Amino acid sequence: MRQLSIMVDLDRCIGCKTCIVACRNHHGLIDHENDQPGQMANYIRVESKTEGVFPNLKEDSWVVMCQHCKKTPCAKACEYDAITKDEQTGIVLFDQEKCTGCGECIEKCPYHVIQFNKVDNYAHKCNMCYERVTHGLDPICVDVCLTEALSFGEKEILLMQAEAKGKQVIKKMSTQSIIYVKTP
Amino acid sequence: MYEDGWIPTICYQCKAECAILARVENGVVKEVKGNPRGRGKVCVKGMAGITSLYSSERLKFPMKRVGERGSGNFERITWDEAMEIMETKLTELRDRGEAHKFTYSMFPHSVTDPKWRFVNACGGFISTGLPHCDSGKIMAMIHTFGCFPNHHIAPMYNTVPKGGLMILSGRHPFGCLDDACVPKHILDAKDRGAKLIVIDPLYRTEASKADWWIPIKPGGDASLFLGVCNYLLENDLHNVPFCDKWVREGDMDNLKAYIKDKTPEAMSKICEVPATDIVKLAKMVAEAPSACIDAFKSIMYGNAMDWGHAWTIFLVITGNLDNPGGQPLPDIAPMAPVEPVPPAPDLAELGYHRTGKDREKFDNYNFFLQPTWYAAQAIKEDALKVFIATECNPAMSEMGSNEWRKAVTMKNEDGSYKLELLVVTEIMPSETMKWADLVLPDQTNYERWELLYMPWWYNFAHGAALCQPVVKPIGESRHANSVFIDLGKRMFPEYFAFKDDVEYYDIELAGVGMSVKKLQENGGLWSPGAAGFRKYEDNGKFNTPSGKIELQWQMYKDAGQEWPSPELPLEYRRGEEEFPFILVNFRTIFLNNTGAWSQNNAQLRDPISGLDANPCLINPIDAKKLGLEEGDMVTMESSTGKIEIPIKLTEKIIPGCAGIIHGFGHTMGKVASRGNWSSDNELIADAGSTLDEQDMRGGEAHVSTRVKIYK
Ligand code: SF4
Ligand code: SF4
Ligand code: SF4
Ligand code: SF4
Repeated sequence: MRQLSIMVDLDRCIGCKTCIVACRNHHGLIDHENDQPGQMANYIRVESKTEGVFPNLKEDSWVVMCQHCKKTPCAKACEYDAITKDEQTGIVLFDQEKCTGCGECIEKCPYHVIQFNKVDNYAHKCNMCYERVTHGLDPICVDVCLTEALSFGEKEILLMQAEAKGKQVIKKMSTQSIIYVKTP
Repeated sequence: MYEDGWIPTICYQCKAECAILARVENGVVKEVKGNPRGRGKVCVKGMAGITSLYSSERLKFPMKRVGERGSGNFERITWDEAMEIMETKLTELRDRGEAHKFTYSMFPHSVTDPKWRFVNACGGFISTGLPHCDSGKIMAMIHTFGCFPNHHIAPMYNTVPKGGLMILSGRHPFGCLDDACVPKHILDAKDRGAKLIVIDPLYRTEASKADWWIPIKPGGDASLFLGVCNYLLENDLHNVPFCDKWVREGDMDNLKAYIKDKTPEAMSKICEVPATDIVKLAKMVAEAPSACIDAFKSIMYGNAMDWGHAWTIFLVITGNLDNPGGQPLPDIAPMAPVEPVPPAPDLAELGYHRTGKDREKFDNYNFFLQPTWYAAQAIKEDALKVFIATECNPAMSEMGSNEWRKAVTMKNEDGSYKLELLVVTEIMPSETMKWADLVLPDQTNYERWELLYMPWWYNFAHGAALCQPVVKPIGESRHANSVFIDLGKRMFPEYFAFKDDVEYYDIELAGVGMSVKKLQENGGLWSPGAAGFRKYEDNGKFNTPSGKIELQWQMYKDAGQEWPSPELPLEYRRGEEEFPFILVNFRTIFLNNTGAWSQNNAQLRDPISGLDANPCLINPIDAKKLGLEEGDMVTMESSTGKIEIPIKLTEKIIPGCAGIIHGFGHTMGKVASRGNWSSDNELIADAGSTLDEQDMRGGEAHVSTRVKIYK
């Protein structure tokens, strides 16, 4: 299996959203001149969870982008073959040419990451910076992450690195190609 | 002159001014990233800087007010007219012997910022945000160990050794502000085995990553650290060789006598941190190879100088000065002077706080800048006649900003405004612009030249960085520096004999064998990189009058303030019954306070990529007592103002406090004015009208405020 992955280290993510804006700039998801808050697409988002009662609190932050699923429920929902899992990389890609804008994939995505361009009528999402990673560069979010909470590489190698650092994979967050880890 | 590619320049979405690379394609900025020759990081605000650059809200030409101040109505004028208006008024002021009644509120980007030069040539004074950010910290460090004045004076987290303590006391460095690399440096230090201790009434991301979160009553920092110092001294756990060698004779004995009754138990009663925790912290400090403290919000309270004083005592008795992991004593790059240098007028004689009716109250005022927070008062007292503002927003950022807005509309009997001219240079509509007579369209960091070598950099200014234009400016916008160089040429040609901003920087850079061109060819930075440790050993002395560390502040003997008071700020010690909550106003990484350019940035106010809400945070325990539920609209009321705001319940705030974010509540700008959010400064009293509550030594104005909350 060929699978490129991003590993999210919950020990380091501070929920600063730098990656969101960098991804948006890089992929041209914004009209800087006119877009208003709430109108812009985003391929990645921040989530967080606080547990406990004052003063015994715990909080984690992390990012969610397309998980480049093994079984691609989005692709199964698409009647037009617009969604494929790339064999060379394991990256799930949307083909804008083939997409008819039916929107069927959107609800089927368990991670709610699919964006819809109403002006040109197509669905789109994180492509793991396909154009970069296939030319030896890291994805933008990994490159700019303020705290270096993200790492990129082949899934098995990332898992090996996590183990070497004594970090545990949090399986309940994702069993797909984005790996969430934390020191127990 | 504009090239495509990754071009080195500087971010100015906040005052950290990180070194960045901008990717320019066909003359348009497309992407931003950290300059790897610098600290290599850019935060979310920096990433969104492109949106500020291209926003349709950019001001594109000079404008003049039509109608009354505050009406927000303007008409387009030419740059020539704008220059004429400023020259005429400033000349008139000087001719009638009132040049000192001119203040320029700005953020100088270097100690020789050309705008500052213009103000000195005029005979006026600059005023900056420092006197309501951390002048308490600055003055404490100057008094105790003669540290070069420096805005943030943050510890260098990249130097903290294994086992070293990083103590954040009312400070949120993950919000950047020092440099976008700071969060990474703190987490890297933790990975090396350093410990992170967060002392804060709020549980924020820093606390979530900390080894120990110590919730504290706001304003309790001085007492907490006096308790720690008491334990260290009583148990001989302090750094004796360091104190013997460097502390002024007699000061240690006097300190011990003074601190004898500041026991952890006694101090616990003030800060409400358990005495056992104070002892635990003291023991950790005694065992650690280094300890540093950073404080920011906590040093804006009414006991700022006391807290600053206690903080410096802690650093000294633990020997944590200019060592890896301790408190750095910053250096500044030796730039060449641009001769002849205009002499600055005497602040202690002519500052607007020294010429009005409250002048005696300022007898102990030692800060080297005009107290910005006294501006409203100074206008009322006819001590301030011309106000220019660049990169600041006093109509919102002043404590009791309502007083400021009132003052600028006050009139003389003949119907003329008391403040004769109010000029704002801005890139976007701001609250302050609404009250201005003249609005000058400024340039963003992507369109302008600037030479930066301020000591508040995270690299402690042992270097210089070049901000260079990477794209053509928008509309008729002009950078404020070059506007005031040109006005300087008209009014004081002897001091502005250089060609332009670039030539000015070239002359300065010669001091370190550099030029603008050489910087351009070398990644935009001159950065030898060595911070230099224990520089006092090389010098054989500290930069104080005695050459030693001065723990006892003898200059305040008459005021009875030779030693720090452990008490909470005065404002917290009274009015508890009527106003049971302490207001905790805080900042986030997403917005640069009241700055129009970040508040009016669509990506930074987008709920996904920024922040678009500012509810009042209270602990569920308090909500229950008040019968309030999540989302209820309430009134928050202080003794001087009130706001309507929804409630958000959270375990992340200490009971007895009410939290809101600083910087919201704009009425100008399509994005900035979104939602029904309010400004914390509507609740905070105007510092100039509450002088009895102000600590008149360090120049700090106080945000300490009590509020009540009701439906
Ligand atoms: S996360 Fe959603 S869009 Fe991505 S592969 Fe899975 S189902 Fe498809
Ligand atoms: S991998 Fe690329 S496209 Fe996906 S979230 Fe990160 S930056 Fe965006
Ligand atoms: S930039 Fe890094 S630390 Fe910030 S939200 Fe994204 S993943 Fe988390
Ligand atoms: S901290 Fe962020 S906003 Fe401030 S200068 Fe650095 S990158 Fe820009």
